[in-house]
Amino acid sequence: MTSSSPPLLPPRPAPPSARRSWRGALRQELFATPLDGVISVLLLAALLAAGVGFWHWAFRQAQWAVIQANTTLFAVGRYPLPQQWRLWLLVALAAVTTGASWGLLRSHPRADRSGTLWPFNDLVAIAVLAFLAAWLPAALKLPVPLQLRWWAITALLLVLRGVAGQWGGLVPRRLLRFLPLFWPALYLFGMVLIAGGLGVPRVPPSEWGGLLLTLLMASFAILLSFPIGIVVALGRRSSLPLLRWSSVLYIEFIRGAPLITLLFLGQNILGYMLPGGWAPDRVWRAAWVLTFFCGAYLAEAVRAGLAAVPVGQLEAARSLGLSMPQALRHVVLPQALQIALPATVGQFISLLQDTTLLSLIGLLELLGTARTVMANPEFLGKNAEVYLTLAVLFWCCCAALGLGSRALELRLNPSHSPT
Amino acid sequence: MAASPLMIEARGVQKWYPNGFHALRGVDLSVSRGEVVVIMGPSGSGKSTFIRTFNALEDFQEGTITIDGIALSNDLRNIDAIRCDTGMVFQQFNLFPHLTVLENLSLAPVVVRKRRRAEVEAQALGLLERVGIAEQAGKYPGQLSGGQQQRVAIARSLCMEPRILLFDEPTSALDPEMVGEVLEVMRALAADGMTMVVVTHEIGFAREVAHRVVLMSEGQIVEAAAPTTFFTNPQHERSRQFLAQIL
Repeated sequence: MTSSSPPLLPPRPAPPSARRSWRGALRQELFATPLDGVISVLLLAALLAAGVGFWHWAFRQAQWAVIQANTTLFAVGRYPLPQQWRLWLLVALAAVTTGASWGLLRSHPRADRSGTLWPFNDLVAIAVLAFLAAWLPAALKLPVPLQLRWWAITALLLVLRGVAGQWGGLVPRRLLRFLPLFWPALYLFGMVLIAGGLGVPRVPPSEWGGLLLTLLMASFAILLSFPIGIVVALGRRSSLPLLRWSSVLYIEFIRGAPLITLLFLGQNILGYMLPGGWAPDRVWRAAWVLTFFCGAYLAEAVRAGLAAVPVGQLEAARSLGLSMPQALRHVVLPQALQIALPATVGQFISLLQDTTLLSLIGLLELLGTARTVMANPEFLGKNAEVYLTLAVLFWCCCAALGLGSRALELRLNPSHSPT
Repeated sequence: MAASPLMIEARGVQKWYPNGFHALRGVDLSVSRGEVVVIMGPSGSGKSTFIRTFNALEDFQEGTITIDGIALSNDLRNIDAIRCDTGMVFQQFNLFPHLTVLENLSLAPVVVRKRRRAEVEAQALGLLERVGIAEQAGKYPGQLSGGQQQRVAIARSLCMEPRILLFDEPTSALDPEMVGEVLEVMRALAADGMTMVVVTHEIGFAREVAHRVVLMSEGQIVEAAAPTTFFTNPQHERSRQFLAQIL
């Protein structure tokens, strides 16, 4: 640095043209040229007309009695009425766990993440929950005691969220690591509650139905296909030929056949393949077919994730002395699964929708239930109402999965944290 | 120096890649405790492959390699023991991007050596202090500059308390203004008596720090000499050509 060198320029604010207001952006996008403007106006008018038409149908013409009269059927199928307290208990427990987990997570923000988004998102979530609890049971014309139950359950969730959010900070951080274990525990307990056993009367799978069966099948397949997908993906990249070829065979066999074929195969062939009495019940057969079906697709998603982790990561881990399983567990898989997360969740979402195929093999999950309802002479011609309800239900479940995965992605990805 | 015990002894190492390429053609090298050996050579000469055989990241078909008295064989326990004693610093740093700097350092001691996390983290902070980036302990690798990342990588190797450090072109991926800070750390390590084998093109480092400079070409060691001799009076025609190209 000599004294003759010119002084460095200080930064100055960006000129107005570099900062665009949302109105400017909108004008740019919709009305940039006269032709753009005409197209935009026509499209907006068409959208408006469709919206008004739908509104008119949904609130004037549609007769929602078909849904209101069959809420229990849609929710749980022919699950025996005297045993339904078990499902209420399960929902209440799920609400408790959700509220507590939610509050605890908020009271322990990660030190390396900014928390500015959460208060807003949480308020929106709470508002949506409160609105649903107040509106939905009434709109479905549930008996007053049932409406009260839904209010109580929602209140339980929100109160626990509040309590855990307020005083959860008193729980030491290292205990928080056990929080995720509550969910599998709740799941197992829920299975016992639903199916019976351990002193509770049995309710055979043939009596499960509706949303209950759909969620059970989907969650069972999601939970079990995940480890299958990881193992098969690792197998496919293994240097051991037998392992590699059997993984390839499995993946290609499953991916080569439509799910419905595999479901029919499962219903018919498993009985011959397994010794007498070993073959599971029809519902469980379908669940296993779904699981192995999803596992093959997941394996490909995980394989893509594994391939995206640079080989230097494994070399670094190995040269630090980590064994192969340790290196996979601590270094390679965390990165691979994070990369594979969007594809994995996409797979889960399509699995959830694929459960509708179970209606074709005679199981009364949501679509199967809907078809029995529509076949009821009392509700003939109410297909639109029923299918719309189904679509909204599926949309809600898939949106929940998508939002959850987005939150997980943000939480896992260090590059989103402020420096 | 000759009296010190041998830390690395390679005898007649031959390696062919699966595609048939003869990468190492009978390489001999002995490294004593506390010695700093710099390996130079044109790209494709096998220098990286050679030091990667020392901790079994590459296998070899003929010859023997003995690391600190343990023969490298296909016995996995031997390989794990050698890897624990041999740190490696890579050209691309290879920090674990999903872990913080502190977690990068403490992972192997906690997982492999089963040491207590609190104790390891105290040691790790000390090492970060030593390489001059203690204040970055809570950050993720992606938030650091290249020079800082490479210093973290060195500290990560040191956290396993290795007896030998292998450097595979540690400054080749760095912006020029960051090379100095990494070489600084390596100089300090050499001064502390660490046994080091360094593949590098940094002539200044080789001149000042190395006890011996080795020139590899076409999978063989062409010349091995003290840096003063090597840089001022190379014995082989191949060395003279190489020096003429890089000086």
